[in-house]
Amino acid sequence: MIGRRLGLALVAVLTFVLAACGGGGTSSSGPVEIAVWHGYQDTEGDVFKGLIDQYNKAHPDVKVTELYSSNDLVLQKVLTAVRGNSAPDVAYMFGSWSPNIAKIPQLVNMSDVVSAPDWKWDDFYPAERQAATVGDKIVGVPALVDNLAIVYNKKLFADAGVAPPSPTWTWDDFRAAAAKLTDPTKGQYGWLIPADGSEDTVWHYVPMLWEAGGDILSADNQHATFNSEAGVKALTTLQQMAVTDKSLYLDTTNENGPKLMNSGKVAMLVTGPWDLSSLSDIDYGVQVMPTFAGSAGAHQTISGPDNWVVFNNGDKKKQAALDFVKWLTAPEQVKAFSLGTGDLPTRISVGKDADLLAKMNEKLPGSATFVENLNNVKKVRPQVEQYPAISEALGQAIVSVMLGKDQPAAALNSAVQAADTALAGK
Amino acid sequence: MPALLDRVGRSETLSGWTLVSPAAVLIGIFGLLPVVMSLVLSFQHSDLLTPETPWVGLDNYRKLAEDPVFVEAIKHTIVYTALFVPGTMLVGLFVASAMNRSVRFISVYRTTAYITMAVSTISQGIIFLWLTDRDYGLVNAALNSAGVQSQPFLASPTQALYVIVAMTIWGWTGFSVIVYLAALQGVPAELHEAAAIDGATAFTRFRTITVPLLGPANLFLVVWLTINALQLFDEVYATTRGGPLRATTVIVYYLWDRAFVQFDAGYAAAMAYALFVVILLITAVQFRIARKHAHIS
Amino acid sequence: MTTPQLSTLTAEPEAQEPPAPISERRSRLRLPFSPWHLVLIPLSFLLVVPLLWMLVTSLETEGEANRFPPVLIPESPRFENYSEAWAAAPFGHFFLNSVMVTLVVLVSNLIVCSLAGYAFARVRFLGRGALFVTLMATLMVPFQVTMIPVFLIVKWFGDNVWAGLGIDHIGALMLPNLATAFGIFFLRQFFQTVPVELEEAARVDGTSRLGVLFKIVLPLSLPALSTLAALTVLTSWNDFLWPLIVITSHDQMTVPLGLSYFQGAHRVKWPLLMAANVMSLLPMLLVFVGAQRYFVQSVANTGLKG
Repeated sequence: MIGRRLGLALVAVLTFVLAACGGGGTSSSGPVEIAVWHGYQDTEGDVFKGLIDQYNKAHPDVKVTELYSSNDLVLQKVLTAVRGNSAPDVAYMFGSWSPNIAKIPQLVNMSDVVSAPDWKWDDFYPAERQAATVGDKIVGVPALVDNLAIVYNKKLFADAGVAPPSPTWTWDDFRAAAAKLTDPTKGQYGWLIPADGSEDTVWHYVPMLWEAGGDILSADNQHATFNSEAGVKALTTLQQMAVTDKSLYLDTTNENGPKLMNSGKVAMLVTGPWDLSSLSDIDYGVQVMPTFAGSAGAHQTISGPDNWVVFNNGDKKKQAALDFVKWLTAPEQVKAFSLGTGDLPTRISVGKDADLLAKMNEKLPGSATFVENLNNVKKVRPQVEQYPAISEALGQAIVSVMLGKDQPAAALNSAVQAADTALAGK
Repeated sequence: MPALLDRVGRSETLSGWTLVSPAAVLIGIFGLLPVVMSLVLSFQHSDLLTPETPWVGLDNYRKLAEDPVFVEAIKHTIVYTALFVPGTMLVGLFVASAMNRSVRFISVYRTTAYITMAVSTISQGIIFLWLTDRDYGLVNAALNSAGVQSQPFLASPTQALYVIVAMTIWGWTGFSVIVYLAALQGVPAELHEAAAIDGATAFTRFRTITVPLLGPANLFLVVWLTINALQLFDEVYATTRGGPLRATTVIVYYLWDRAFVQFDAGYAAAMAYALFVVILLITAVQFRIARKHAHIS
Repeated sequence: MTTPQLSTLTAEPEAQEPPAPISERRSRLRLPFSPWHLVLIPLSFLLVVPLLWMLVTSLETEGEANRFPPVLIPESPRFENYSEAWAAAPFGHFFLNSVMVTLVVLVSNLIVCSLAGYAFARVRFLGRGALFVTLMATLMVPFQVTMIPVFLIVKWFGDNVWAGLGIDHIGALMLPNLATAFGIFFLRQFFQTVPVELEEAARVDGTSRLGVLFKIVLPLSLPALSTLAALTVLTSWNDFLWPLIVITSHDQMTVPLGLSYFQGAHRVKWPLLMAANVMSLLPMLLVFVGAQRYFVQSVANTGLKG
């Protein structure tokens, strides 16, 4: 009787294994259907769907369908789908996943494709191109670019009699201002940082590391170097504000930044253009991040470019998908998208378009500053598959220092050890 | 009637399996088979990206035994479970008893218990994050007015896990209440009447009549709540993401992180299996204790 | 032994409770309402706070919702959030899909788990213990680990049995959930509380096992069945992770997937999300209110009377 159930399981396994190599169905007639998975909704979603409609009308032999999937969860969805041979044709993937998704066999390597002149590959900002390149593979085409800058509450500055951030500010100036803008009795803080130890925390620290003259990894990506003098200096700055001055609010939820900003509880936020539309209730300004006095690093910021990746579901679909992505990322569409959504343009030529900048500033003041800030993106995060492990170690170190549990040098040293182990392991 | 008993004895097994077969087939295919396939995964190195999944034997399990974060995760999971399970049962029993009355609007009150279960863990997470916020939360506002200093709660490595215990008890009370309400229906009124006439107080009656008859419900709750507590994930994902500084990293959260953030799915499967063995053992013990208890009473 | 009359089994919610002991009766004479209200009101309030917060947020403007600490009373309640949320995505279709999936899963579970639960509770068959443990084992491995194998199995069904059961169809949402060890475990516990004398008497009279189940055990287990029904509806309706993995076409989506429309990568549209959330709670509320009648059963004890 027990054998009966076991037998059933065996039969199921057998038939499943035998049938497992079923390929996807192919339709021989009718337009080629390609599925695009993305995380756009709201304004971005409307504009994106508009672009798709436009493409479908102009290309009756192709039918592009889109699916919204929250960006946080789309990786699980894609991995499962790839496993089950039902991958989409085009998907929006976070740039930080590039080194890992590069290993998926069905992912189309675009290096030959984008070298064709009509792609105008070099028109994409260098950081984006780097984020899409893993070794000698190009995993995707830039879909989104952003960067970090200071967004500040003009009224809070005026009320406290502090001069607003300027391009000549150093981190000492920043620290002094943050201290003056902190008032515990009112529950007001000078600055806020996401403090959950995830990549969100790490990528706030990294530009400071770069500005201080340091790097995450050595040039050959073999070992971690963020515990250098520069690294300690950058982390000490955070420690001073979080622990000594208590002017830095540690947001362990990662969500309260724009809310607190919008409620007038925080004077400055180092964040990206996506938060601007949440700040409807205050009068804000945008300024580049400060520099470290005397450092050759000068002004630097970090960018988190994301990519459109293409999966190979057969020659016809692959070609249709590539054609669609080429059109989607062409300068004309990039401009239309930026205009409609306020997202920064991914192409240098479009970023120089004065007309576009003026219009973007009208809709969302400060957008132009973010676009110009793209020129300060000099470095990118290392494109190694162990980056998630490195990020984890570094994130924990940063948070433990900001919570006052550790000293910068010691914390960074143990994080470097963990990172080196990860780099050596895989 | 010996002949009848004979027939009953043999056909028992047949009728038993007939009754059970639809469930066995469905759960066998969609429950058991995946569990077996995951076991296979735990002996492989898989990143979910490349189709090659080399066999690594017991390597994943060996790594597990040397993983300090896994040990921490075990500790947190045990502490959490030891507090959550009794907590939810007690609170649930209390609330269910209060709601087991024919008071006006009782269906409204009961509905509130049910509807709390319908609120997503994401919403629950947001509410608790807000309520317990160090600077702006209601709880600290109340503490301050009582002269107590503001507490960091979910932002504190020492307090965060306990706040999650409180939050999940809150979230699961509805479930506990519903189960107990159903069970309390089976407590005969006459027994209460007779005891009341004899002069027993409400509390004594509760203790000597109601509680023992809640045996099966108690077993169900203790087993189900334990199984769930040991697999805690949603509420941690919705609030602290395993932090601060890993204070709320529990086993399933850690394994999810390994599989989908660090791309080490084989390792995650090994962790799931280690956990599975533990859950199985604990559940078996719970059933055994219940059986002994039932014999005694 | 006669089987209990069905008419005596459906009880009004305010039916026979144990008569209040002397002390309570006295206090009832003093207060215009039962003193239990003093306990129940704060208790219910505590339980219902999340829902209240959802309601409040659903009536706010985006600016108000983007404040921290949260705004507790919106300036002018924005009821348009509800119509906007409804229009933002094909919710009518999502509701339909959710209802179909939940209905099928509910009926299937009630039937299959009753049969199995009864067998485990009362029938002594060879291999019962081992089978029960094996089925329970399926509850002990987290879904995050088993979801990929389940995906592959469901895909196989879609490719080889019927497309309607496969990936990107609501059949795939039903298939893995047609029976759960949870339901079996739950009913087994409750079926054990039905007085075994009733069943034995019927069996002596010649009723088959199935007959005993349908004529005696089930009618006496309405609170347990309705509780399982409520819990099954809840789990099925709110299931998010599995539909997320399996469904890619808009016309096959369920309500929770629809709700995720309001959760952007960087921004969540709280007022619309909460409005949609409230709307999606309504069917479950209706189910529960409807099932309330069966939660109370005054005759579970009549079996003891002669």
